[in-house]
Amino acid sequence: MNQASMYCIETTHLTHQFAPGKNILDDINLQVPTGSIYGFLGPNGAGKTTTLRLILGLLKKQKGEIRIFGQSLAENRVAILRKLGSLIETPSLYGHLTAAENLLLLQKIYQSPKARIPEVLELVGLPDTANKKVSQFSLGMKQRLSIAVALLNQPDLLILDEPTNGLDPNGIIEMRELLKRLNQEQGITILISSHLLAEIEKLVTHVGIIHKGQLLFEGTLPDLVHKQQESSRVSLITNDNARSLQLVQSLQPEAQQQNGKLLLPLLPPEQIAQLNRHLVQNNIDVYHLAVEKNDLESIFMELVNN
Amino acid sequence: MATILLNSIQSEWMKTKRSAAFWLVLSGGFFIPGILTLVHLVYIKKLGKIYANTPFWEKWLINGWESMSVLLIPMGIVLATSLIAQLEYKSNGWKQVHTTPQNLTTVFFAKYTVVLVLMLQMFVLFGLSMYLAGAIPAWYYGHIQYPKEAFPWGRFIQINASFYVMALPIVALQYLLSIQFKNFMVSLGAGVALVVAAIIALSWRYVYLVPYTYGAIYYLQLQGKMRFKSNILDIHYLALIYFFAFTLLSYILYLTKKEKG
Repeated sequence: MNQASMYCIETTHLTHQFAPGKNILDDINLQVPTGSIYGFLGPNGAGKTTTLRLILGLLKKQKGEIRIFGQSLAENRVAILRKLGSLIETPSLYGHLTAAENLLLLQKIYQSPKARIPEVLELVGLPDTANKKVSQFSLGMKQRLSIAVALLNQPDLLILDEPTNGLDPNGIIEMRELLKRLNQEQGITILISSHLLAEIEKLVTHVGIIHKGQLLFEGTLPDLVHKQQESSRVSLITNDNARSLQLVQSLQPEAQQQNGKLLLPLLPPEQIAQLNRHLVQNNIDVYHLAVEKNDLESIFMELVNN
Repeated sequence: MATILLNSIQSEWMKTKRSAAFWLVLSGGFFIPGILTLVHLVYIKKLGKIYANTPFWEKWLINGWESMSVLLIPMGIVLATSLIAQLEYKSNGWKQVHTTPQNLTTVFFAKYTVVLVLMLQMFVLFGLSMYLAGAIPAWYYGHIQYPKEAFPWGRFIQINASFYVMALPIVALQYLLSIQFKNFMVSLGAGVALVVAAIIALSWRYVYLVPYTYGAIYYLQLQGKMRFKSNILDIHYLALIYFFAFTLLSYILYLTKKEKG
Protein backbone atom coordinates (compact mmCIF):
# COMPACT_ATOMS: atom_id res chain seq x y z
CA MET A 1 0.00 0.00 0.00
CA ASN A 2 1.45 3.37 -0.94
CA GLN A 3 1.41 6.51 1.19
CA ALA A 4 -1.43 8.00 -0.85
CA SER A 5 -3.92 5.27 -0.01
CA MET A 6 -2.65 4.63 3.50
CA TYR A 7 -3.50 8.03 4.89
CA CYS A 8 -6.69 9.82 4.06
CA ILE A 9 -5.41 13.00 5.69
CA GLU A 10 -1.78 13.84 6.24
CA THR A 11 -0.38 17.11 7.51
CA THR A 12 3.32 17.82 7.56
CA HIS A 13 4.92 20.50 9.76
CA LEU A 14 1.62 22.35 9.94
CA THR A 15 2.22 25.56 11.84
CA HIS A 16 -0.13 28.49 12.25
CA GLN A 17 -0.24 31.74 14.14
CA PHE A 18 -2.92 34.39 14.48
CA ALA A 19 -0.49 36.92 16.01
CA PRO A 20 3.23 37.12 15.28
CA GLY A 21 5.40 35.05 17.60
CA LYS A 22 2.57 32.98 19.06
CA ASN A 23 2.06 29.61 17.43
CA ILE A 24 -1.50 28.36 17.69
CA LEU A 25 -0.35 25.20 15.93
CA ASP A 26 3.23 24.08 16.19
CA ASP A 27 4.58 21.53 13.73
CA ILE A 28 1.51 19.30 13.57
CA ASN A 29 2.12 16.04 11.73
CA LEU A 30 -1.27 14.38 11.62
CA GLN A 31 -1.83 11.05 9.92
CA VAL A 32 -5.40 9.85 9.60
CA PRO A 33 -5.44 6.32 8.15
CA THR A 34 -7.94 5.59 5.38
CA GLY A 35 -10.99 3.76 6.77
CA SER A 36 -10.33 4.79 10.35
CA ILE A 37 -12.39 6.71 12.87
CA TYR A 38 -9.85 9.14 14.17
CA GLY A 39 -10.58 10.90 17.45
CA PHE A 40 -8.88 14.28 17.59
CA LEU A 41 -8.73 15.15 21.26
CA GLY A 42 -7.71 18.14 23.23
CA PRO A 43 -9.02 20.62 25.77
CA ASN A 44 -10.79 23.78 24.63
CA GLY A 45 -8.36 26.12 22.89
CA ALA A 46 -5.85 23.35 22.14
CA GLY A 47 -5.90 23.97 18.39
CA LYS A 48 -8.38 21.32 17.21
CA THR A 49 -10.72 23.63 15.33
CA THR A 50 -7.83 25.61 13.83
CA THR A 51 -6.34 22.34 12.52
CA LEU A 52 -9.69 21.27 11.05
CA ARG A 53 -10.31 24.68 9.48
CA LEU A 54 -6.87 24.52 7.87
CA ILE A 55 -7.59 21.01 6.59
CA LEU A 56 -10.83 22.29 5.04
CA GLY A 57 -9.15 25.35 3.53
CA LEU A 58 -11.20 27.75 5.66
CA LEU A 59 -8.01 29.30 6.97
CA LYS A 60 -5.17 30.35 4.75
CA LYS A 61 -2.25 27.96 5.32
CA GLN A 62 0.91 29.68 6.52
CA LYS A 63 3.42 26.87 6.90
CA GLY A 64 3.44 23.14 6.24
CA GLU A 65 1.67 20.81 3.87
CA ILE A 66 -1.82 19.29 3.84
CA ARG A 67 -2.60 16.22 1.77
CA ILE A 68 -6.07 14.68 1.55
CA PHE A 69 -6.76 11.48 -0.43
CA GLY A 70 -3.04 11.63 -1.30
CA GLN A 71 -3.47 14.99 -3.08
CA SER A 72 -2.24 18.40 -2.09
CA LEU A 73 -5.12 20.52 -0.77
CA ALA A 74 -3.59 23.68 -2.20
CA GLU A 75 -3.57 22.22 -5.73
CA ASN A 76 -6.75 20.09 -5.72
CA ARG A 77 -9.10 21.92 -3.38
CA VAL A 78 -12.31 21.55 -5.41
CA ALA A 79 -11.73 17.87 -6.31
CA ILE A 80 -11.01 17.06 -2.65
CA LEU A 81 -14.05 18.96 -1.35
CA ARG A 82 -16.27 17.01 -3.75
CA LYS A 83 -15.53 13.82 -1.74
CA LEU A 84 -15.69 15.38 1.68
CA GLY A 85 -18.42 16.25 4.19
CA SER A 86 -17.90 18.46 7.20
CA LEU A 87 -19.40 20.02 10.27
CA ILE A 88 -17.29 22.66 11.96
CA GLU A 89 -18.39 23.92 15.38
CA THR A 90 -21.92 25.33 15.17
CA PRO A 91 -24.36 24.16 12.47
CA SER A 92 -24.42 26.16 9.22
CA LEU A 93 -28.12 26.26 8.46
CA TYR A 94 -30.50 28.88 7.11
CA GLY A 95 -33.24 29.36 9.69
CA HIS A 96 -35.79 30.88 7.29
CA LEU A 97 -35.66 27.76 5.08
CA THR A 98 -37.03 24.29 5.78
CA ALA A 99 -34.81 21.27 6.40
CA ALA A 100 -35.44 20.01 2.86
CA GLU A 101 -34.67 23.43 1.36
CA ASN A 102 -31.41 23.60 3.27
CA LEU A 103 -30.45 20.28 1.73
CA LEU A 104 -31.81 21.21 -1.70
CA LEU A 105 -29.58 24.24 -2.09
CA LEU A 106 -26.55 22.04 -1.48
CA GLN A 107 -27.95 19.31 -3.71
CA LYS A 108 -27.85 21.91 -6.52
CA ILE A 109 -24.13 22.33 -6.01
CA TYR A 110 -23.20 18.68 -5.48
CA GLN A 111 -25.64 17.59 -8.20
CA SER A 112 -26.44 14.55 -6.11
CA PRO A 113 -29.80 12.80 -6.73
CA LYS A 114 -32.81 14.51 -5.14
CA ALA A 115 -33.80 11.18 -3.59
CA ARG A 116 -30.77 11.59 -1.37
CA ILE A 117 -32.57 14.33 0.62
CA PRO A 118 -35.20 12.11 2.34
CA GLU A 119 -32.54 9.41 2.60
CA VAL A 120 -30.14 11.51 4.70
CA LEU A 121 -32.98 12.93 6.79
CA GLU A 122 -34.02 9.36 7.59
CA LEU A 123 -30.43 8.42 8.33
CA VAL A 124 -30.04 11.11 10.99
CA GLY A 125 -33.44 10.47 12.54
CA LEU A 126 -35.29 13.48 11.14
CA PRO A 127 -37.63 11.80 8.65
CA ASP A 128 -40.71 13.93 9.43
CA THR A 129 -39.10 17.33 9.52
CA ALA A 130 -38.46 17.98 5.82
CA ASN A 131 -41.01 20.80 5.64
CA LYS A 132 -40.32 22.31 9.02
CA LYS A 133 -38.44 25.61 9.20
CA VAL A 134 -34.99 25.22 10.71
CA SER A 135 -35.56 28.22 13.00
CA GLN A 136 -38.06 25.98 14.85
CA PHE A 137 -35.46 23.22 15.39
CA SER A 138 -33.80 22.52 18.73
CA LEU A 139 -29.98 22.62 18.87
CA GLY A 140 -29.87 18.82 18.80
CA MET A 141 -32.06 18.70 15.69
CA LYS A 142 -29.88 21.32 14.02
CA GLN A 143 -26.84 19.22 14.83
CA ARG A 144 -28.48 16.16 13.25
CA LEU A 145 -29.47 18.15 10.19
CA SER A 146 -25.89 19.37 9.87
CA ILE A 147 -24.76 15.74 9.81
CA ALA A 148 -27.34 15.12 7.08
CA VAL A 149 -25.84 18.04 5.13
CA ALA A 150 -22.38 16.55 5.55
CA LEU A 151 -23.62 13.18 4.26
CA LEU A 152 -25.57 14.54 1.30
CA ASN A 153 -22.81 14.04 -1.28
CA GLN A 154 -21.98 10.49 -0.07
CA PRO A 155 -18.51 11.56 1.05
CA ASP A 156 -15.44 9.36 1.46
CA LEU A 157 -14.28 11.49 4.35
CA LEU A 158 -16.25 13.12 7.15
CA ILE A 159 -14.71 15.86 9.25
CA LEU A 160 -16.76 16.57 12.35
CA ASP A 161 -15.85 19.15 14.95
CA GLU A 162 -17.54 18.31 18.24
CA PRO A 163 -20.66 16.93 16.55
CA THR A 164 -22.34 15.86 19.78
CA ASN A 165 -22.64 19.43 21.07
CA GLY A 166 -26.24 20.00 22.06
CA LEU A 167 -27.26 16.35 21.83
CA ASP A 168 -28.91 14.59 24.75
CA PRO A 169 -27.36 11.31 26.02
CA ASN A 170 -29.65 9.29 23.80
CA GLY A 171 -28.75 11.45 20.83
CA ILE A 172 -25.04 10.96 21.57
CA ILE A 173 -25.47 7.18 21.54
CA GLU A 174 -27.47 7.33 18.30
CA MET A 175 -24.85 9.56 16.70
CA ARG A 176 -22.12 7.14 17.77
CA GLU A 177 -24.00 4.20 16.26
CA LEU A 178 -24.62 6.13 13.04
CA LEU A 179 -20.96 7.06 12.65
CA LYS A 180 -19.88 3.48 13.37
CA ARG A 181 -22.33 2.20 10.77
CA LEU A 182 -21.16 4.70 8.17
CA ASN A 183 -17.58 3.71 8.80
CA GLN A 184 -18.19 -0.04 8.75
CA GLU A 185 -20.81 -0.29 6.00
CA GLN A 186 -19.72 2.47 3.66
CA GLY A 187 -16.03 2.64 4.51
CA ILE A 188 -16.17 6.37 5.26
CA THR A 189 -13.11 7.70 7.04
CA ILE A 190 -14.15 9.89 9.94
CA LEU A 191 -12.11 12.55 11.68
CA ILE A 192 -13.98 13.61 14.80
CA SER A 193 -12.82 16.13 17.35
CA SER A 194 -13.82 16.28 20.97
CA HIS A 195 -12.57 17.57 24.27
CA LEU A 196 -13.92 14.51 26.10
CA LEU A 197 -12.15 11.19 25.67
CA ALA A 198 -14.98 9.31 27.40
CA GLU A 199 -17.35 10.56 24.72
CA ILE A 200 -15.44 9.08 21.80
CA GLU A 201 -13.37 6.22 23.22
CA LYS A 202 -16.17 3.77 22.37
CA LEU A 203 -16.17 4.98 18.79
CA VAL A 204 -12.66 5.65 17.56
CA THR A 205 -9.98 3.35 16.18
CA HIS A 206 -7.23 5.96 16.26
CA VAL A 207 -6.48 8.86 18.54
CA GLY A 208 -4.55 12.10 18.25
CA ILE A 209 -4.11 14.25 21.33
CA ILE A 210 -3.33 17.93 20.89
CA HIS A 211 -2.58 20.49 23.56
CA LYS A 212 -1.38 24.08 23.25
CA GLY A 213 -0.90 23.58 19.53
CA GLN A 214 1.31 20.49 19.86
CA LEU A 215 0.41 16.93 18.97
CA LEU A 216 1.25 15.01 22.14
CA PHE A 217 0.14 11.55 21.07
CA GLU A 218 -0.94 9.86 17.91
CA GLY A 219 -1.66 6.19 17.48
CA THR A 220 -4.27 3.49 17.64
CA LEU A 221 -6.66 3.15 20.54
CA PRO A 222 -4.78 -0.06 21.67
CA ASP A 223 -1.58 2.04 21.72
CA LEU A 224 -3.29 4.41 24.12
CA VAL A 225 -4.59 1.50 26.21
CA HIS A 226 -1.05 0.11 26.32
CA LYS A 227 0.14 3.47 27.57
CA GLN A 228 -2.54 3.20 30.21
CA GLN A 229 -1.25 -0.19 31.34
CA GLU A 230 2.30 1.12 31.37
CA SER A 231 1.30 3.88 33.71
CA SER A 232 -0.50 1.58 36.19
CA ARG A 233 1.27 1.31 39.55
CA VAL A 234 1.29 -0.63 42.83
CA SER A 235 0.73 1.57 45.84
CA LEU A 236 1.46 0.79 49.47
CA ILE A 237 0.75 2.46 52.81
CA THR A 238 2.39 1.07 55.93
CA ASN A 239 2.99 2.05 59.57
CA ASP A 240 6.61 3.00 58.67
CA ASN A 241 6.95 4.14 55.09
CA ALA A 242 10.62 5.16 55.38
CA ARG A 243 11.72 1.70 56.56
CA SER A 244 9.35 0.03 54.17
CA LEU A 245 10.93 1.94 51.27
CA GLN A 246 14.37 0.56 52.18
CA LEU A 247 12.97 -2.96 52.38
CA VAL A 248 11.02 -2.67 49.13
CA GLN A 249 13.93 -1.10 47.26
CA SER A 250 16.01 -4.21 48.04
CA LEU A 251 13.52 -6.10 45.86
CA GLN A 252 12.28 -3.29 43.56
CA PRO A 253 14.86 -0.52 43.14
CA GLU A 254 12.34 1.72 41.19
CA ALA A 255 10.14 2.09 44.28
CA GLN A 256 9.67 5.63 45.55
CA GLN A 257 7.74 7.52 48.18
CA GLN A 258 5.16 10.06 47.08
CA ASN A 259 2.39 11.80 49.02
CA GLY A 260 2.55 9.36 51.93
CA LYS A 261 2.50 6.31 49.66
CA LEU A 262 5.09 3.94 48.32
CA LEU A 263 4.75 3.63 44.56
CA LEU A 264 6.11 0.81 42.40
CA PRO A 265 5.74 -0.13 38.76
CA LEU A 266 2.98 -2.65 37.98
CA LEU A 267 4.10 -6.15 39.11
CA PRO A 268 2.75 -9.66 38.51
CA PRO A 269 0.43 -10.86 41.34
CA GLU A 270 3.06 -13.34 42.67
CA GLN A 271 5.62 -10.59 43.14
CA ILE A 272 3.07 -8.38 44.89
CA ALA A 273 2.35 -11.24 47.32
CA GLN A 274 6.09 -11.76 47.87
CA LEU A 275 6.53 -8.07 48.62
CA ASN A 276 3.72 -8.15 51.16
CA ARG A 277 5.24 -11.21 52.85
CA HIS A 278 8.67 -9.54 52.99
CA LEU A 279 7.23 -6.48 54.75
CA VAL A 280 5.18 -8.49 57.24
CA GLN A 281 8.16 -10.73 58.06
CA ASN A 282 10.07 -7.52 58.90
CA ASN A 283 7.35 -6.44 61.35
CA ILE A 284 5.80 -3.82 59.08
CA ASP A 285 2.04 -3.34 59.29
CA VAL A 286 0.61 -3.05 55.77
CA TYR A 287 -2.47 -0.83 55.78
CA HIS A 288 -3.05 -0.56 52.06
CA LEU A 289 -1.79 -2.54 49.09
CA ALA A 290 -3.43 -1.94 45.72
CA VAL A 291 -2.92 -1.71 41.98
CA GLU A 292 -3.69 1.83 40.79
CA LYS A 293 -4.98 1.73 37.23
CA ASN A 294 -5.19 4.94 35.25
CA ASP A 295 -8.25 5.13 33.04
CA LEU A 296 -7.93 6.59 29.56
CA GLU A 297 -9.19 9.93 30.79
CA SER A 298 -6.33 10.12 33.34
CA ILE A 299 -3.83 9.27 30.59
CA PHE A 300 -5.30 12.04 28.51
CA MET A 301 -5.12 14.47 31.41
CA GLU A 302 -1.60 13.32 32.25
CA LEU A 303 -0.46 13.92 28.67
CA VAL A 304 -2.13 17.30 28.62
CA ASN A 305 -0.84 18.37 32.03
CA ASN A 306 2.72 17.29 31.36
CA MET B 1 -17.84 26.09 -15.84
CA ALA B 2 -21.07 27.83 -16.95
CA THR B 3 -23.14 24.94 -15.54
CA ILE B 4 -21.30 25.10 -12.23
CA LEU B 5 -21.92 28.85 -12.03
CA LEU B 6 -25.58 28.37 -12.93
CA ASN B 7 -26.02 25.70 -10.24
CA SER B 8 -24.33 27.96 -7.76
CA ILE B 9 -26.57 30.90 -8.70
CA GLN B 10 -29.66 28.68 -8.28
CA SER B 11 -28.39 27.63 -4.88
CA GLU B 12 -27.76 31.23 -3.83
CA TRP B 13 -31.14 32.31 -5.19
CA MET B 14 -32.89 29.71 -3.05
CA LYS B 15 -31.34 31.26 0.04
CA THR B 16 -33.22 34.51 -0.60
CA LYS B 17 -36.58 32.72 -0.52
CA ARG B 18 -38.71 34.19 2.30
CA SER B 19 -35.67 36.17 3.49
CA ALA B 20 -35.85 39.76 4.75
CA ALA B 21 -34.00 40.91 1.59
CA PHE B 22 -36.66 39.27 -0.60
CA TRP B 23 -39.52 41.04 1.20
CA LEU B 24 -37.60 44.31 1.21
CA VAL B 25 -37.12 44.21 -2.56
CA LEU B 26 -40.76 43.31 -3.09
CA SER B 27 -42.09 46.07 -0.84
CA GLY B 28 -39.44 48.53 -2.15
CA GLY B 29 -40.73 48.08 -5.70
CA PHE B 30 -44.36 48.69 -4.72
CA PHE B 31 -43.91 51.34 -2.04
CA ILE B 32 -44.05 54.64 -3.98
CA PRO B 33 -46.50 53.40 -6.67
CA GLY B 34 -48.72 52.06 -3.88
CA ILE B 35 -48.79 55.45 -2.17
CA LEU B 36 -49.44 57.24 -5.49
CA THR B 37 -52.32 54.87 -6.27
CA LEU B 38 -53.92 55.48 -2.88
CA VAL B 39 -53.46 59.25 -3.12
CA HIS B 40 -55.10 59.37 -6.52
CA LEU B 41 -57.92 57.08 -5.53
CA VAL B 42 -58.69 59.40 -2.64
CA TYR B 43 -58.04 62.78 -4.27
CA ILE B 44 -59.94 62.02 -7.43
CA LYS B 45 -60.20 65.65 -8.52
CA LYS B 46 -56.46 65.98 -8.99
CA LEU B 47 -56.44 63.03 -11.30
CA GLY B 48 -58.07 64.72 -14.27
CA LYS B 49 -55.43 67.47 -14.18
CA ILE B 50 -52.59 64.99 -13.98
CA TYR B 51 -53.91 62.92 -16.85
CA ALA B 52 -54.22 66.04 -18.98
CA ASN B 53 -50.56 66.92 -18.42
CA THR B 54 -48.81 65.58 -21.57
CA PRO B 55 -46.72 63.62 -22.19
CA PHE B 56 -48.37 62.03 -19.18
CA TRP B 57 -46.56 58.71 -18.86
CA GLU B 58 -42.97 60.02 -19.00
CA LYS B 59 -43.75 62.80 -16.51
CA TRP B 60 -45.58 60.29 -14.34
CA LEU B 61 -42.61 57.94 -14.22
CA ILE B 62 -40.07 60.70 -13.58
CA ASN B 63 -42.29 62.04 -10.83
CA GLY B 64 -42.29 58.56 -9.29
CA TRP B 65 -38.51 58.51 -9.38
CA GLU B 66 -38.21 61.71 -7.32
CA SER B 67 -37.96 60.17 -3.88
CA MET B 68 -36.83 56.79 -5.19
CA SER B 69 -33.66 58.11 -6.83
CA VAL B 70 -32.45 60.30 -3.98
CA LEU B 71 -33.28 58.23 -0.94
CA LEU B 72 -35.32 55.06 -1.27
CA ILE B 73 -33.30 53.23 -3.91
CA PRO B 74 -29.90 53.92 -2.27
CA MET B 75 -31.28 52.96 1.14
CA GLY B 76 -32.99 49.89 -0.31
CA ILE B 77 -29.73 48.76 -1.91
CA VAL B 78 -27.78 49.35 1.31
CA LEU B 79 -30.28 47.31 3.31
CA ALA B 80 -30.98 44.51 0.84
CA THR B 81 -27.31 43.91 -0.06
CA SER B 82 -26.29 43.88 3.59
CA LEU B 83 -29.13 41.49 4.41
CA ILE B 84 -28.11 39.04 1.66
CA ALA B 85 -24.51 38.84 2.86
CA GLN B 86 -25.78 38.74 6.43
CA LEU B 87 -27.68 35.54 5.62
CA GLU B 88 -24.30 33.77 5.63
CA TYR B 89 -22.93 35.41 8.76
CA LYS B 90 -26.17 34.91 10.69
CA SER B 91 -26.37 31.23 9.73
CA ASN B 92 -22.63 30.51 10.02
CA GLY B 93 -23.05 29.75 6.35
CA TRP B 94 -19.72 30.96 4.97
CA LYS B 95 -17.86 27.89 6.22
CA GLN B 96 -20.46 25.65 4.62
CA VAL B 97 -20.29 27.57 1.34
CA HIS B 98 -16.50 27.48 1.33
CA THR B 99 -16.34 23.74 1.90
CA THR B 100 -18.51 22.98 -1.11
CA PRO B 101 -16.70 21.98 -4.30
CA GLN B 102 -16.74 25.40 -5.93
CA ASN B 103 -13.87 27.70 -6.62
CA LEU B 104 -13.91 31.07 -4.91
CA THR B 105 -14.62 32.95 -8.14
CA THR B 106 -17.84 30.95 -8.58
CA VAL B 107 -18.92 31.63 -5.00
CA PHE B 108 -18.22 35.35 -5.34
CA PHE B 109 -19.98 35.87 -8.65
CA ALA B 110 -22.94 33.58 -7.88
CA LYS B 111 -23.85 35.63 -4.82
CA TYR B 112 -23.10 38.87 -6.66
CA THR B 113 -25.39 37.84 -9.52
CA VAL B 114 -28.19 37.17 -7.06
CA VAL B 115 -27.73 40.63 -5.52
CA LEU B 116 -27.75 42.26 -8.97
CA VAL B 117 -30.82 40.30 -10.09
CA LEU B 118 -32.68 41.11 -6.88
CA MET B 119 -31.98 44.79 -7.44
CA LEU B 120 -33.08 44.48 -11.05
CA GLN B 121 -36.25 42.84 -9.78
CA MET B 122 -36.89 45.90 -7.60
CA PHE B 123 -36.50 48.21 -10.63
CA VAL B 124 -38.76 46.06 -12.80
CA LEU B 125 -41.41 45.86 -10.07
CA PHE B 126 -41.20 49.61 -9.61
CA GLY B 127 -41.62 50.23 -13.35
CA LEU B 128 -44.59 47.88 -13.66
CA SER B 129 -46.29 49.15 -10.55
CA MET B 130 -45.78 52.76 -11.67
CA TYR B 131 -47.67 51.85 -14.84
CA LEU B 132 -50.42 50.25 -12.76
CA ALA B 133 -50.47 53.23 -10.38
CA GLY B 134 -51.10 55.46 -13.37
CA ALA B 135 -53.73 53.20 -14.89
CA ILE B 136 -55.67 51.82 -11.90
CA PRO B 137 -57.47 55.06 -10.88
CA ALA B 138 -58.68 55.53 -14.46
CA TRP B 139 -59.84 51.92 -14.65
CA TYR B 140 -61.53 52.21 -11.28
CA TYR B 141 -63.27 55.54 -11.97
CA GLY B 142 -64.45 54.87 -15.50
CA HIS B 143 -65.64 58.46 -16.02
CA ILE B 144 -62.11 59.95 -15.81
CA GLN B 145 -60.48 60.28 -19.18
CA TYR B 146 -57.61 57.87 -19.55
CA PRO B 147 -54.47 59.38 -21.14
CA LYS B 148 -54.88 59.26 -24.91
CA GLU B 149 -51.22 58.80 -25.78
CA ALA B 150 -49.83 55.32 -26.37
CA PHE B 151 -47.85 53.94 -23.49
CA PRO B 152 -44.14 54.76 -24.24
CA TRP B 153 -42.66 51.35 -23.41
CA GLY B 154 -39.28 52.12 -24.99
CA ARG B 155 -38.77 55.36 -23.06
CA PHE B 156 -40.11 53.73 -19.90
CA ILE B 157 -37.56 50.92 -20.14
CA GLN B 158 -34.76 53.29 -21.07
CA ILE B 159 -35.35 55.57 -18.05
CA ASN B 160 -35.62 52.63 -15.66
CA ALA B 161 -32.52 51.00 -17.15
CA SER B 162 -30.58 54.25 -16.73
CA PHE B 163 -31.59 54.47 -13.08
CA TYR B 164 -30.43 50.85 -12.67
CA VAL B 165 -27.02 51.74 -14.13
CA MET B 166 -26.83 54.71 -11.73
CA ALA B 167 -27.45 52.33 -8.84
CA LEU B 168 -24.72 49.85 -9.80
CA PRO B 169 -21.81 51.60 -8.01
CA ILE B 170 -23.83 51.53 -4.77
CA VAL B 171 -24.59 47.82 -5.23
CA ALA B 172 -20.91 47.06 -5.84
CA LEU B 173 -19.59 49.01 -2.86
CA GLN B 174 -22.29 47.68 -0.54
CA TYR B 175 -21.53 44.13 -1.66
CA LEU B 176 -17.86 44.71 -0.89
CA LEU B 177 -18.66 46.02 2.60
CA SER B 178 -21.25 43.34 3.32
CA ILE B 179 -19.05 40.35 2.54
CA GLN B 180 -15.96 41.85 4.16
CA PHE B 181 -17.44 42.70 7.53
CA LYS B 182 -19.22 40.24 9.75
CA ASN B 183 -20.86 43.00 11.75
CA PHE B 184 -24.07 44.02 10.01
CA MET B 185 -23.76 47.52 11.45
CA VAL B 186 -20.53 48.21 9.55
CA SER B 187 -22.01 47.81 6.07
CA LEU B 188 -25.33 49.32 7.12
CA GLY B 189 -23.76 52.25 8.98
CA ALA B 190 -21.29 52.98 6.18
CA GLY B 191 -24.06 52.72 3.58
CA VAL B 192 -26.41 55.09 5.42
CA ALA B 193 -23.56 57.55 6.03
CA LEU B 194 -22.66 57.51 2.32
CA VAL B 195 -26.29 58.05 1.28
CA VAL B 196 -26.57 61.04 3.62
CA ALA B 197 -23.18 62.38 2.43
CA ALA B 198 -24.39 62.00 -1.17
CA ILE B 199 -27.48 64.11 -0.49
CA ILE B 200 -25.27 66.83 0.99
CA ALA B 201 -22.84 66.52 -1.94
CA LEU B 202 -25.59 67.33 -4.47
CA SER B 203 -24.84 71.04 -4.08
CA TRP B 204 -21.07 70.50 -4.46
CA ARG B 205 -19.28 71.42 -7.69
CA TYR B 206 -17.49 68.05 -7.79
CA VAL B 207 -20.61 66.04 -7.14
CA TYR B 208 -19.81 63.75 -10.09
CA LEU B 209 -16.99 62.22 -8.04
CA VAL B 210 -19.51 60.83 -5.54
CA PRO B 211 -21.10 57.69 -7.02
CA TYR B 212 -23.93 57.52 -4.46
CA THR B 213 -25.36 60.73 -5.99
CA TYR B 214 -25.77 59.41 -9.54
CA GLY B 215 -29.42 58.41 -9.20
CA ALA B 216 -30.32 61.86 -7.89
CA ILE B 217 -28.17 63.56 -10.57
CA TYR B 218 -29.89 61.59 -13.33
CA TYR B 219 -33.28 62.53 -11.91
CA LEU B 220 -32.28 66.22 -11.84
CA GLN B 221 -30.92 65.92 -15.38
CA LEU B 222 -34.26 64.48 -16.54
CA GLN B 223 -36.03 67.41 -14.87
CA GLY B 224 -33.49 69.85 -16.36
CA LYS B 225 -32.63 71.04 -12.87
CA MET B 226 -29.01 69.83 -12.48
CA ARG B 227 -26.78 72.80 -11.66
CA PHE B 228 -23.41 71.31 -12.59
CA LYS B 229 -22.33 69.45 -15.69
CA SER B 230 -19.86 66.60 -15.78
CA ASN B 231 -16.61 67.78 -17.37
CA ILE B 232 -15.28 64.24 -17.53
CA LEU B 233 -17.73 61.74 -18.97
CA ASP B 234 -21.42 61.08 -19.32
CA ILE B 235 -22.81 59.97 -15.99
CA HIS B 236 -23.68 56.50 -17.36
CA TYR B 237 -20.01 55.81 -18.12
CA LEU B 238 -18.93 57.19 -14.76
CA ALA B 239 -21.40 54.86 -13.03
CA LEU B 240 -20.10 51.86 -14.98
CA ILE B 241 -16.45 52.74 -14.27
CA TYR B 242 -17.14 52.95 -10.53
CA PHE B 243 -19.15 49.74 -10.71
CA PHE B 244 -16.34 47.77 -12.36
CA ALA B 245 -13.68 49.30 -10.10
CA PHE B 246 -15.61 48.46 -6.91
CA THR B 247 -16.38 44.96 -8.23
CA LEU B 248 -12.71 44.30 -8.97
CA LEU B 249 -11.65 45.61 -5.57
CA SER B 250 -14.32 43.53 -3.86
CA TYR B 251 -13.22 40.40 -5.76
CA ILE B 252 -9.55 40.88 -4.87
CA LEU B 253 -10.35 41.50 -1.20
CA TYR B 254 -12.57 38.42 -1.13
CA LEU B 255 -9.93 36.17 -2.70
CA THR B 256 -7.20 37.35 -0.35
CA LYS B 257 -9.27 37.15 2.82
CA LYS B 258 -7.35 35.01 5.31
CA GLU B 259 -10.36 33.53 7.10
CA LYS B 260 -13.15 32.06 5.04
CA GLY B 261 -15.61 31.03 7.71
